Amino acid sequence: MNYDALMHVGLFLPLLAGIALLIWPSLGRTFAVAAAGVTFLLAAWLFAGAQGEGAGYASQTLLLEPIQMYYALGLDGVGLMLWLAVSFTTLLAVYIAQVPIRMLGWALLMETGLLGIFAAADLVLFYVFFEATLIPALLMLGLYGGRERLKAAYTFALFTLVGSLPMLAAVFAVRYLGGAPSFLHADLAANPVSGAAATWVFLGFLVAFAVKTPLFPLHAWLPSFHAENHPSGLADAMGTLYKVGLFAFFKWAIPLAPEGFAQFQGLLLLLAAFGAIYAAWLAFAARDWKRLLAYGGVSHMGLGALGLFSGHADGVTGALFLLAASMVYTGGLFLVVGRIAERTETLEIGPVRGIAKSAPALSVLTMFLVMAMIGLPGLSGFPGEFMALLGAWKASPWLTFVAFTAVIAAAAYALTAYQALFQESPNRTVPDLTPREWVFGVAVVASTLLVGLYPKMFTELIHPVSEALAKLLGGGA
Amino acid sequence: MITLYLLGAASVVLTLLGFFVPARVTRWVAVGSVGATLAYLFFTWGQEQTAFGGLYVVDSVSQGFTMVALLGVLWALILGRTEKWEFPLLLVYAATGMHFMASSPNLPVLLVALEVFSLPLYVLATWRRDERGFEAGLKYFLLGALSAAIFLYGIALHFGATGSFNAGAEGSGPLYVTALLLILGALAFKVSLVPFHWWTPDVYQGSPTTVSLMMATAVKAAGFAALVRVLDVQDQGLWGLGLGALIALTVVFGNLGALAQRESKRLLAYSSIAHAGYVGLGLFSGTGAPAIGFYLLAYALSTGLAFAVLAAVSQGDVPYERLRGLLYRKPVLGVAMGIGLLSLAGLPPFAGFWGKLLVFLEAARAQQWGLLVLALLTSAVAAYYYLRLFNLLIDRRQEAREEGGAPVAAGLAGTPVLSGQGAGGLSLATGRSSTATLVVAAALVVLLGILPGWGYRLFSPVPFAALSQAAAQPAALPATFAITSPSDGAELRADEFSLQGTGNAGETLEVYDNGTKLADVTVGENGGWSLTLPSLPAPGEHTYQVRRPGESEGPSVRVKILE
Repeated sequence: MNYDALMHVGLFLPLLAGIALLIWPSLGRTFAVAAAGVTFLLAAWLFAGAQGEGAGYASQTLLLEPIQMYYALGLDGVGLMLWLAVSFTTLLAVYIAQVPIRMLGWALLMETGLLGIFAAADLVLFYVFFEATLIPALLMLGLYGGRERLKAAYTFALFTLVGSLPMLAAVFAVRYLGGAPSFLHADLAANPVSGAAATWVFLGFLVAFAVKTPLFPLHAWLPSFHAENHPSGLADAMGTLYKVGLFAFFKWAIPLAPEGFAQFQGLLLLLAAFGAIYAAWLAFAARDWKRLLAYGGVSHMGLGALGLFSGHADGVTGALFLLAASMVYTGGLFLVVGRIAERTETLEIGPVRGIAKSAPALSVLTMFLVMAMIGLPGLSGFPGEFMALLGAWKASPWLTFVAFTAVIAAAAYALTAYQALFQESPNRTVPDLTPREWVFGVAVVASTLLVGLYPKMFTELIHPVSEALAKLLGGGA
Repeated sequence: MITLYLLGAASVVLTLLGFFVPARVTRWVAVGSVGATLAYLFFTWGQEQTAFGGLYVVDSVSQGFTMVALLGVLWALILGRTEKWEFPLLLVYAATGMHFMASSPNLPVLLVALEVFSLPLYVLATWRRDERGFEAGLKYFLLGALSAAIFLYGIALHFGATGSFNAGAEGSGPLYVTALLLILGALAFKVSLVPFHWWTPDVYQGSPTTVSLMMATAVKAAGFAALVRVLDVQDQGLWGLGLGALIALTVVFGNLGALAQRESKRLLAYSSIAHAGYVGLGLFSGTGAPAIGFYLLAYALSTGLAFAVLAAVSQGDVPYERLRGLLYRKPVLGVAMGIGLLSLAGLPPFAGFWGKLLVFLEAARAQQWGLLVLALLTSAVAAYYYLRLFNLLIDRRQEAREEGGAPVAAGLAGTPVLSGQGAGGLSLATGRSSTATLVVAAALVVLLGILPGWGYRLFSPVPFAALSQAAAQPAALPATFAITSPSDGAELRADEFSLQGTGNAGETLEVYDNGTKLADVTVGENGGWSLTLPSLPAPGEHTYQVRRPGESEGPSVRVKILE
């Protein structure tokens, strides 16, 4: 079986299906679900094929000869795990979200961009996917968003674009100051820049990736992005997948300019820890579900960033694990909130109370996802958080303590909101889960349980890669 | 030669023909002859030729830039339908001048070519015959004449300093630098680099939109073709500083100027100024001609899309508000405009991104880091004004804003409604032909965005024929491929190495690990390849082997991976 071919098919299938859906919306939701389902199966197949021998996939073809730029894809353990997370969440999203059919097409287009980000093994190709994914994200917001959607779209686009341009400068600098013969990851990593140039190169990457982590204070686009997006949660779930900053730091910024990273490490740890607690505080004050989840996401990414920037193998593994797990449970929560909003016609926390009485299954489903987000042992959020904090502890016990309060705060804000919506004295009856939602619910709960109970399935694959990075930075395992 | 004959003959024939046949016919004759010239260009791509004792040179620069110019002219011809037969005639005259401009290394000939394509443009700028049109034409003419005079003066000094009329002659001393700066200034006027740009917004706004389209695409290509030849000198010195200053001013003021606009054609005029600055970045390295050519092609297609959509809305002014919700009223126009704008903003996966990437790389190669950072910063400003227009396209609130029966629904279903002011009898080709050009151009923008190598190759000196020959003769390849790193018998840690080796440029090889296929690699232009190991190899003995596809043996290295 030629797995490389599967990789190309898996990458571009959603793109083609998405374009078809945009042109002929009459193909309908079934078509979108089928396309997303096949993509997920391909990702799973690739993942299964990589088991045992511990292999990954790589393929490269020269795309733009004069500058030695390749169409190069490579999937190692980390890439495969994220492919699974992205394709699974996309499948869930197009399956459950009640949106205009064309919006599903945009979501599929975005899926290709996201898969490309995780597979690209050439820096320019990575940049292309990183930027191109913006277009469907922007259009979903601009075409289907709420009243202030254009303003939110501006904020989002400008943060992204202004962030990306320094990165483009860094792309040129890392190649020509480092002296690599091509833009391939292998060549660039073999010729890292050093000295003052390394500081500037890392700074260029830092701005772009901090926007997409999102790392305080460059997270400001996120709340309005989520608040203004379509209430179904489709765009929010896809937007959650677009938070690829941690991965980009891990794969590109740090290995390509390790000296630059060393310069900023202290500051980054501080920002990550402070961001985690600050965002948790804002989440506590949030008045609607989408903002709460948005800030909760920022807070958790802060924890992940702390693990990654610690430079210890455990922390790095934890950060990547948390990234993948949070894609699924945060994405799932956005979608569940979308279903609830359709029943209650509001996203606000407070006006509607006590719906557990009339919709017990819905309340259990939400409970599972909220618990995964809080990091309850046995669910998918826990292993990542735990390992990230473990790694961070080795780098800076004090900051880890600060960040740990964010974990406690997560329980406070998430459970308070949950309690208000589901458990206080009922003032509203809503219908319980439909058969379609049952399927969705079982799938998402099963995934959080599976990942939470058997994290080794993934850590086994990502730990060697994390150790390599830790060694590069001179840290121990 | 044939290219020149075709265009020249078309001009003469059209001049005479216009007296006897209706304008409709001359228009199609013009389209046919420009199209035939383009076809001829493609069929003879890569064949170099010199004529008239070196005054006329067909090479990769000439072919590439002529192609861009002719595409612009052809587009304007197809869109611009008029009762007057002079319109296609003037465009074909201009095309002839542009082709000569791109094909001569001789400075006096360049001056003649400059005049040949400028004079028709002065006339075309006044086509609307209203106050704006006259202002545009007069301004363009006066400043154009001034720049021609400066050019002539530069030629005289250049001859004094080098004893040669040839562009690219080496020289030294203040006289030489002054000469180059004067010539640079004159050409900067044509491609509208700040501070020689003042005419641009008024002329673009005052001319019929189809003419603006031609100015933004074809004229820039011709101007930069001449710049590429003139500035092809080794020692940059003072004129390099001058060029750097022009570019810095251009990217800053072009983009800031665009930010303040409320009318689409003026916006595109300022955007064309800004883009001229980005193109100029490619002039520093001395190897930037293909990058510049690709940029101009991508820019011509993208800005052409925007202008063509505006032309479908009105030949006169198009305030932003008239574009609100265009996507819902007229999906084809909306999508075309959207693709054009995103490509202009430099977002992948559209052609404009690769144009920017390539010229920025040329600047990085020439170590122009300051200019590069400035260009990137101003690109962010540019993204803002393009996105503002883009957001208008997709805004649904248009119905509420439409008041007083303004002809906002113009340009729908191929029945363009001209704005109230007279368009001098220039109307828009209706229906299918204009829609077809939009679809073709949008498809090209996307195609070049996905496969930029194709577009780049059009402009690079390595012709197609040579490349396809190399691909067609795999049997003749000598067995020179090997793994160069790691060395045989090396003991390494799993994460410490990548496989590297040599081979024949362009060849595809297969890499095996203990007999299991790892991946395909393609040998680069420099005869080397490298492969990141897809995953960390297990500790122990590994034999890495590289083979030609279909063969079962090849050079190999034995490596011991440590724990």
